Amino acid sequence: MNGQRGMSTLGAVLLAGTAGLLTATLMMDWMVVDVHVVDVSETDDIHADVPVHIKVPFPLVLADIAAGFIPDELLDDAQIPPEVTAQKELVLATVASLLDSPDMHLVKVRTEDANVDIFKEGDTLRILVDADDALVRCNIPIDGVLAALENWDWETVDPQMIFDVLHAAENGEFVTVATDDGVRVAVKMW
Amino acid sequence: MKRQVLVLIALAAFLAAPAAFAGDETRWINVHVTENSSNTNVEVHLPLNLVLTVLRNVDVENFHGGHVDLELDEDMDIDFPEIMAAVKDAPDGKFVTVKSDEADVNVHKQGGTLFVTVNQKEDEMAKVEVTVPLELMDALSFGEENTLDVAALLQSLDTLPNGELVKVTSNEANVRVWIE
Repeated sequence: MNGQRGMSTLGAVLLAGTAGLLTATLMMDWMVVDVHVVDVSETDDIHADVPVHIKVPFPLVLADIAAGFIPDELLDDAQIPPEVTAQKELVLATVASLLDSPDMHLVKVRTEDANVDIFKEGDTLRILVDADDALVRCNIPIDGVLAALENWDWETVDPQMIFDVLHAAENGEFVTVATDDGVRVAVKMW
Repeated sequence: MKRQVLVLIALAAFLAAPAAFAGDETRWINVHVTENSSNTNVEVHLPLNLVLTVLRNVDVENFHGGHVDLELDEDMDIDFPEIMAAVKDAPDGKFVTVKSDEADVNVHKQGGTLFVTVNQKEDEMAKVEVTVPLELMDALSFGEENTLDVAALLQSLDTLPNGELVKVTSNEANVRVWIE
């Protein structure tokens, strides 16, 4: 009898642990790096969907922890030029003002070999570049950028800034770059 | 009961929507540039508040906090406010007419607006039209050290009606700046 009770206690602990792990996993911000190679000898469409993807999903918290192991000396050596530091107020005010602005199509450029569009939608700045030899899609969380810039000392390189931005990014496409040699790299948030 | 509450909320949201949109009085500065030779087309639309924020925070050599240093010779004694007041009080009519082989220049005032027109007769054959509402002149503020408050000037655009400010047409490119 005692043995049976012991097994069920262990089972309950395992079940609770698994449930906790699953919940934590679901609640964490994940980033998926999706590398996708199109055989351009067979298709001209660099956006063509092919079944071969290399997907690397990882929780942001792990990357956050890993960044903590970067030696301080390395970060201290990478000093920010004073010209950049001097523009702190300008950059902060501009980003804050952009965040407060209504949704808009900020910039539209049409040339013979490239189109560029920059939109603001909600808290996100969307940058679309369609060039003859590359395609770029970028969705930047303005609120995340502002928070990162506000927390930054503007003197040293701070990897934490990247994670502040990534944590604030909306679910879905964060950055996609496709080149005419058939390589498409996408970073998606989940 | 729950359904009635939901209907009431939906009705309130529907009635409040026009008021919410009516409150959106963002003014926009628009710039449209087309280059004829390369078929390039650039459109920029910026909220006036964003432009003002940037201007007031720029701190470079001749531009600080929205004020530009005019770098005038100390010997020059120009009373800009007096000139502005004279232009504003002047009756409608042609102020300047220049005709030459290179270009024609016209400056005239009509209905509270100053119009500057330049017609180039050679090279790019450019035609420049600048519209200066006289309300802008009230906003021209000159500091003691020959500085001009550009931010205040732009701020005054907020009170102007929608309209074109600058239009340049030429063989090479066309530029249009307007506020709405």
